[in-house]
Order: sequence, then C-alpha cells, then structure tokens
Amino acid sequence: MELKVGIIGCGNIFNLAHKSALKRIEGVKVVACMDIDGERARKGAEELGARAFTNLDEFLDLDLDAVLVLTPTYTHSELAIRALKAGKHVIVEKPIALTVEEGEKMIRTAEREGLHLLVGHVRRFDKRWLQMKEIIEKRNILPMHIRKTEVQNLPFPRDYWYWDEKRSGGVAVDLGVHVTDFLRWFFEGEPVSVYAVGKSIKEEARANGTWDHFIMMIAFEGGKTGIAEVSWAYPYPARYGVFYHHVDIIGRNGRIRYTPLDTPVVGVAKANFEMPRFSPLLSTFPEAFEMELRHFFNVIKGKDEPRVTAQDALIALKIAERAKESAMKGEVVEV
Amino acid sequence: MRKLRMGVISYAHPHALRFAGQIASGRHTKLVAISGDGPNSDVARVEARRFGAHFYKTYEELLRDDNVEAVYIAIETYRHKEVAVRAAEEGKHILLEKPIALTLEDADEIIKAAKKAGVKLMVPYNPRFTEPLQKAKEMLDAGEVGPLEYIYTISENVKPPIFLQGLDMSWFLDARKSGGGGFMDTAPHGIDSLFWLTEDVPKKVYADIGAKIYGFPVDDIGTAVLEFRKGVLAVLTAGWGNPKGYSYGIEMKYYLVGREGFLDIRTAYPDFTVYQERAEKIYWDRPDVRGIVESFARAILKDEKVPIPGEVAKKNLAVVLAAYESSRKRKAVKVSL
Repeated sequence: MELKVGIIGCGNIFNLAHKSALKRIEGVKVVACMDIDGERARKGAEELGARAFTNLDEFLDLDLDAVLVLTPTYTHSELAIRALKAGKHVIVEKPIALTVEEGEKMIRTAEREGLHLLVGHVRRFDKRWLQMKEIIEKRNILPMHIRKTEVQNLPFPRDYWYWDEKRSGGVAVDLGVHVTDFLRWFFEGEPVSVYAVGKSIKEEARANGTWDHFIMMIAFEGGKTGIAEVSWAYPYPARYGVFYHHVDIIGRNGRIRYTPLDTPVVGVAKANFEMPRFSPLLSTFPEAFEMELRHFFNVIKGKDEPRVTAQDALIALKIAERAKESAMKGEVVEV
Repeated sequence: MRKLRMGVISYAHPHALRFAGQIASGRHTKLVAISGDGPNSDVARVEARRFGAHFYKTYEELLRDDNVEAVYIAIETYRHKEVAVRAAEEGKHILLEKPIALTLEDADEIIKAAKKAGVKLMVPYNPRFTEPLQKAKEMLDAGEVGPLEYIYTISENVKPPIFLQGLDMSWFLDARKSGGGGFMDTAPHGIDSLFWLTEDVPKKVYADIGAKIYGFPVDDIGTAVLEFRKGVLAVLTAGWGNPKGYSYGIEMKYYLVGREGFLDIRTAYPDFTVYQERAEKIYWDRPDVRGIVESFARAILKDEKVPIPGEVAKKNLAVVLAAYESSRKRKAVKVSL
C-alpha cells in the first residue's frame, strides 16, 4: 500500500531535511504541499510532484493518510489537532508543541481518533547516538553522569519567530527538548528535579526578552545526573551556523566522550577560511531524517512500533518547561 | 636572588612528590628537610635520601630546624590547621596543600596565625599556572572574545587516587580526614581558576555531588552551576570519574564563551603518548608546579604578596562547602563572600 502524504509548512526544516528524504523513500507519495506563503507551497509541490495549497480546509479535504506538520512550534497543536480530526495520521516536528498543555490535548485527540501522533525527535535516529547507545549496552557501561551540549550561533534576524518565546518557546524548549529526550533515552529512567539558569547573550535575545543560553542540571532517579547545555549564542561566525554537539558519559565501568573536535574533518585553507567539506556534524543529519521518516511511515502502515512516542516527546517538553520555571524562580523544581 | 631553604612536611598527599622535586631543582629554592608524618613516611625517607635533605620523623622536629625558612605542607587535610598554626608559630612561611582546611573556622585560625607571626601563607591551585590558561586569560583581558559570558570547565577529572601505585591514599576515602571525595579533592582547582578568570566570586551555587561511579564511601564526581556576581555563568565538573584506561592522568578543559568569541582550552600540560596495552600520556613539563614554587619563593625573598593568599583559599573552601550543602539539600545555595 502506498501512503498518501501531505505537508504543512514548506519552510526551513522542510527544505533542509524532509524534502530530500521524502524523495528517497519508496511506498510513499507526497500529494499535497501547503504553506501560507503561496510561493513556498508552489516550490515545494513542484519539487515533489504534488499539488500546492494555501488553504488548510481545502488541504485537509484531500484523501490523505498522513500529514507532516513542519511549521513553527506555536502552530503545532492547532494544525495537528485539525489534521487528526480530519482523520489523518500526524507526524509533527519537535518540540511536540509550545506548551505541555497543548501537547496533552494533541495526544488525547490522537487517542480519541485512533490515529498515530508521531514526533520528530530525530536524535533517536542519528547513527552517532544509536551506535553510542549500542556500545553502552554491549560493553556493560552504566551511565551515571551525562553531559550533552547542543550549541550554535542562530543566524536568524531578531524578528524571526525563533527569537519569540511565545512562538518557539526559546532555546530552552527548541533545542532543550533534543537534550532532555536524549538524557531520558540514555539513562532509561525518569527525571526527578531540575535546576536551570538562563542567560541572554546576543542582542537578538535581549531585544526579545528571551534566553539564548540555557543550562539544565537534571537529577534522574537512581542518583544519575544529566547536564544539558543549549545555546543559540555560541559566537561562531554565522557561516558555521551548524550545531555543535558534545557528549560526555561518565559511568560505572567506562566513559564515553564525543566531541566534533576529535573526529575527522576535511578542511580547506584558502585566503578566507571556509566551512569543512566533510564533517560528522553535517554528515549524519540527512540520513537521520530519512531513517526517522521511514520508521514513522512503517509505524503508520502497522509494520513497526514507534521507537519514540508522543508521550516521550511530551516528557521531553515537560522537563524543558519545568526548567524554564526553575530559571525564572532561581530554585530547584520537581518534574 | 638567593635560594629559599624549604622543608616538605609529610608525603600523605601525592603532590609532595612533584613539589619536592621542583623545590629541590628550583632556581630559587633548595630542599633541606623532609618530615615523614602520616601515610607514606617510608617514601618520604627515601626521597630525603635522594635529595640529600635532612629527614625528620615528625613535623615538630622539622619546624625546630633553624635552617628551614619555609615549608610545603602535604599532610592529610584534617591536620592542616594543627600543622600550619605550629609552622607559623615557628616563623616558617607556609605553602599549604589545598583545600586550606576542613572548615572555614579552621581556615580563619590558620590565616590569623600566619598574620600574627608575619609569615607568608599561600595555597597552590594549579590551573592558573598552566600555560594554556594563562594565554586564555591574556586574550580575555585584551578583549579578544568580548565580555565573558559563560564558562564550562572540567577541572579537573582524574582517576581515583587509590589507583596510584606504591602510595597509601586510603585517607582520601575517609571524609573525616579529607572533608570529602573526588569533588573535594579536585573542585578547588577549578573554582580557583574561575575566580581568576572572572575576577569575581559566585553568589549562588547549585551542585549534584555523589558516590556515583565506584561505590567508594565518599563522592567520586560532582557538577556545580555557579552564578557569579557580575553575571558570568559557570558549570564545573570535577572528580575521579576517569576510568583506569583513560589515557590522561589529569583532564583539564575550559570552554570560555565571550560575546564575540569562543576559547577552547583542552590540555593542561604538554605531553607525549606511550602506546602499549593502553595509551598513556606522559607530561614532559609541569609549568604549573614550577610556577607555584617560584612565585611562592619570590614573594618571600622579595617580600612581595603571594599570588594566592589564605583569604582566597578560604573563599574557595566556602564555595566547595556551599556546593556540598546544595547537593545535600537538593537546592540552590546563596554564598556571600
């Protein structure tokens, strides 16, 4: 059976990640691309051989098996719920929603409608972390202390939606959920409490009254410690605006450390410094998105159980939300 | 400049090995006496013979040696006050292993005794004497990365001291003698470098410290979030988290995020690697120990201020103790320094 798929939101993440993955996945047909910006919808549709829409009702009237929601975070809940109510399975980008409350509503709607709600926690499909997890199990290491860093210099102008806490949740949520989910995944346990501190470093963050540098110390059950550092304010030049990840796992019976600075690159030296031509930072993303989508489509086809559930996504968001509360109060907050 | 005649009190702390060697070979220092108090007194005796220094069984005898002008004290932490106060009373200048003492009250007594006797008191923390960190500080001060915003540091992470061969390190696992485990042992280094880099002190500390890795009766690793008065945020991991196979003896690492730039400082000392059944890094220079001993000797011989006086070491201890308190109570702790 071939799945009929529709896309809502043909902006950044669609163009960077999903578009090329969708071209490679068989058994799936993208039939419609919707965006409030007609030009973006048209371009996306053209590339995927689909029809373009700017009207959501017309789009949802189509006979679609699944809808991919790839829009800014604050619209996730409304769009996902409308798609679910129209009888479509939903794959939504992370974070699941802007707030836990919205996320819960989405999950309830999916349950009521008997449809899948799947959230794009792409780190769970990234071969670096999958292999690390496998090694931990194979070599009998028990992680007790994990530090995960995801940092970048956000290249967008100050009026872009990322900088607006009410639309993106800020860096604590936007990048934060990647790390909070990663920690739960690696510890295979639940968080107990969080202490967090936020800073506004870049002009864009200060102008918008949001944090662009955020530290979470998360206590997990069994005396395990997770340290999450997320930042949009690392002062790399904008052309290096890719993510830098660092992982340090200290455990019983071993330690595992990953820093992109230890791994192979092909750099070029010219009069002006250039981006690396090969870098593990850049190399795993496309494959991860493809693996994620393949997996989600198989789940929808009933061939697979979800490796990461909407509930997982909700807890990842809940930790980030509590962390923001902690940073606001300056106190430890129970999760 | 003439040479300062120094004695080493006790080989309980393994740093005595490095300091004795440096004192003996220093440009402005001479090692004239060693005492064998506490654990590893046999090692102390052998070392005394090796360096041609006079060996005393106890520090009391060493302190009565008029030839000794200054002492490096490497006895177990719980005896710091007793020995340092006596050294001051005997008019000896003091280089006292960190942490300064078990409690802030003891630290005060040591500081007071040194002041009363008119002797110099210094506590050695290594990172600020390492070349990469000094370079970084220079760059910070020159404004090359803009105002400092955030520091992440592992400073320092080592293998548990009981993995050291040939030395009795068991007192490190007894909190009554050491004040704590891996965090107490290593966090003071990182805290000092944060003081120095930020030229500020923290106002609030949150920490998670525990016996997480090895099942020792004391903590083996901890991480603290430190909010400094003038706005710098720092995260510091310290302890004994490195497994046996970890190739570095000491891991020291700093990420400094300024508003306009980023400094990545990853090695403490120049080294080469030996590959056998596992890889091992051999440091071919320890400019930190040299810097500590030289600056201490210079301060005495030229009657200048020591770079890290007792007051700074007391603040350092206050932060360490606040971190332990925070971890115990599971809440953030305010510090007023």
